[in-house]
Amino acid sequence: MWFHIASAFVLIAAVICIRAYSILPDYKHSRNLNRVSKTCKLAVFLGSGGHTSEMLALVSSLDFDRYTPRTYILSEGDTLSERKAIALEASKVANTTTENSNTNTLPYTILVIPRARKVHQSLMTTPSTAFFSLLQCLYHITIKSIYGRNQHNAGYYFADVLLLNGPGTCLVLCVAVYFNKFIHLSAPKVIYVESFARVKTLSLSGKLLRPLVDKFIVQWPQLLKDNGRGECRGWLI
Amino acid sequence: MLAFVTIGSTRFDDLVQSVFSPTVLSSLLQKGYTHIVVQCGNSEFPYAHLLAGGEELFQVEKEGVSIECWKFKPSLQMDYDRADLVISHAGSGTILDVLRLEKPLIVVPNPTLLDNHQEELAFELQKLGHLESSTVSRLTQTIQEFDPSGLVKFPSFDGSKFANLLDEEMGFL
Repeated sequence: MWFHIASAFVLIAAVICIRAYSILPDYKHSRNLNRVSKTCKLAVFLGSGGHTSEMLALVSSLDFDRYTPRTYILSEGDTLSERKAIALEASKVANTTTENSNTNTLPYTILVIPRARKVHQSLMTTPSTAFFSLLQCLYHITIKSIYGRNQHNAGYYFADVLLLNGPGTCLVLCVAVYFNKFIHLSAPKVIYVESFARVKTLSLSGKLLRPLVDKFIVQWPQLLKDNGRGECRGWLI
Repeated sequence: MLAFVTIGSTRFDDLVQSVFSPTVLSSLLQKGYTHIVVQCGNSEFPYAHLLAGGEELFQVEKEGVSIECWKFKPSLQMDYDRADLVISHAGSGTILDVLRLEKPLIVVPNPTLLDNHQEELAFELQKLGHLESSTVSRLTQTIQEFDPSGLVKFPSFDGSKFANLLDEEMGFL
């Protein structure tokens, strides 16, 4: 009896591991999508401070008619990032001609998630706040996508591509995306861009996310000397 | 000429103290910087009490240099614009802002920061000739020897690199 239960557990664990392993990004055979749609739903995490500035500089160069609609994800209480995102959107509208402005809906939304770990928060309580943060991310990335399969809120999916550049909370987003992949739900391609400030050593989020993301980009070639995965096209900002 | 000193969003006691020291001030004056503006943040230094009661700024004259000092401002753009030299902590945001304005820059990495990757960035950019990297103890000497005309122009922002990268990745190219 116990033997059967134990072997069932081992079997389930093995299946989970194989599934988790099989959905790790295959970097050597990174394929390009066959593009059907002319637009791409973009999600961007703004990690506050320098992370936000760098990310918004990257996003500012994109064709907003192509990357639409856009979701800016930011941490609770980070009003500065919110203001900067709104300012970027406003400047883009000001720079484009009136052609796509006949719709009343905003082409972007702002999504606020709880921080996985607050500044100076003790390591003891981090697991519980990180878990709460994960639940919120799962709600937006996974649960709402499951509902999207039903008629209510039909066709909802989180995004085609998710851009991350740290810090901590972006790891939680990546885990939520993995959950989608795990249960074979639509999942965004995840792209991580290491900061311009990182010359010789990766940031902690960079180290943790490197094996998990679909594309790992650094801005200094020295960071790829270990022959690990990643791509460098020089300074992007 | 005007030199602008900025230490970022926290504090950098050693740098602010050093900027107010007679040796650094006289080396600045010797190079023609008669005015300096200091963004001191929450740093502890001999004049800090002049801002302790919520005063916006204070001005003093020391070693023949007129000094204006304040804690924070929402934007430093105006101060960068009018400066002839910027002396700053080695935060990447500040470095980019200043180099894009083509202002001569001396950076002093803050050694008290936990994860000290600032030094790496400062050192690499110095190797490429875009700025001068110094330390608190070498600051006087660096100011004396610094020759802004020898700096290499920092490339301007080229957003197409990332736009192309993402377009490729998402199948638009």
